Amino acid sequence: MKITQIAGFLGCGKTTLVLKLSRQLAGDNERKVALVVNEIGEIPVDGKVIEESGMMVKDIGGGCICCEVAATFAKTIYRIYKDFSPDHVLVEPTGVAVPHQVKLAARMGGRDAKISLGPAIVLFDATRPAELLDMDMLGQLVTTQVKDADIIAISKVDAVDDAAVGDSSQRVRAYNAKAEILNLSSFTGLGIDQLVDRILVWKE
Amino acid sequence: MDETVKDDHGCYTEHGVSGYGIAAKLSRKEAMNDAFVKNMAENMMLSIAQKCLELGARCIGHIKSHLKTEAGNIKADTIGVSHGSFSTGNLTHPVNTLYIAINSIVQGIPEDAVKAATLEGMHEVADHRGLSVVKEKEHTYFDEFDFVASKKDYIKQLEEQLAGGSISDTDEGE
Repeated sequence: MKITQIAGFLGCGKTTLVLKLSRQLAGDNERKVALVVNEIGEIPVDGKVIEESGMMVKDIGGGCICCEVAATFAKTIYRIYKDFSPDHVLVEPTGVAVPHQVKLAARMGGRDAKISLGPAIVLFDATRPAELLDMDMLGQLVTTQVKDADIIAISKVDAVDDAAVGDSSQRVRAYNAKAEILNLSSFTGLGIDQLVDRILVWKE
Repeated sequence: MDETVKDDHGCYTEHGVSGYGIAAKLSRKEAMNDAFVKNMAENMMLSIAQKCLELGARCIGHIKSHLKTEAGNIKADTIGVSHGSFSTGNLTHPVNTLYIAINSIVQGIPEDAVKAATLEGMHEVADHRGLSVVKEKEHTYFDEFDFVASKKDYIKQLEEQLAGGSISDTDEGE
């Protein structure tokens, strides 16, 4: 069971991507995919949206899985393994989660389960790079997310011009020299095939 | 949902991020079609975002909503007033009652202020459009909701979860 997280700040398009990615990853019943969605706002809006699509989804509300409810997340991972044994679990943490802490929590759940970790895919919203990286506002949190990424997906590229996409890529590269950076539009489907390929071949 | 075990304060609190969630039942004497509901929901999201900014928020993480009705579901959200608001979903026929869940995550103001903005925004837009807030309850999950349940069972589940509302529980008067 491979656990892949789709992280990134609030409003960057994680839920939309998770929906599309999960369908593509599942293929024509080639792979079993389960989803874990976490929200801090006490109301699991995203979970309900995904649930209506017919995917197997587990909501974790009431706190962040990278810290506050890490133990619940670990228990959930183990239960999913035990009850469903999917090939892949896609995890959508809250928009304020720290990816390396989500990895640690997933490993906790994997002590008694055969799991491997997929890439930490971090979305970066091309429509508001300056706002996200403003150090007086959210900069520290967002740069931590970017630094923790194995793959950075510049999201909503359909909503901005090429120069803005280049600007976002340049900004995130300054914080993470190693991660692969790719362009993503869940609206047009750009980048989703690439992400599926990366998840399938990824080795820890 | 499983019992949630909280280990500590959230990492996000260090960054001044606060969240608030509420579920409510809204009704209107005249039936509402999907264009009306989507427009109302989009305006509600923008109103909440604007009120958060007026209370000192520095950044809107997101204001999201999920509306359930017997004729289908609608989702509306915004990441900030300047970004606009968007909605998806359709209703198969006009409805008089809807259930809305709102999730507001904002940076720069405490939870009490997010709560005030969320409630004020919801009530203001609902009132303006002729909807009354019949019941509302903080931190309500719609976890037992099953999308394959019959319409009757599904409404029953929503009503049960809104029972004993922690903010208001007004008689419907319908």
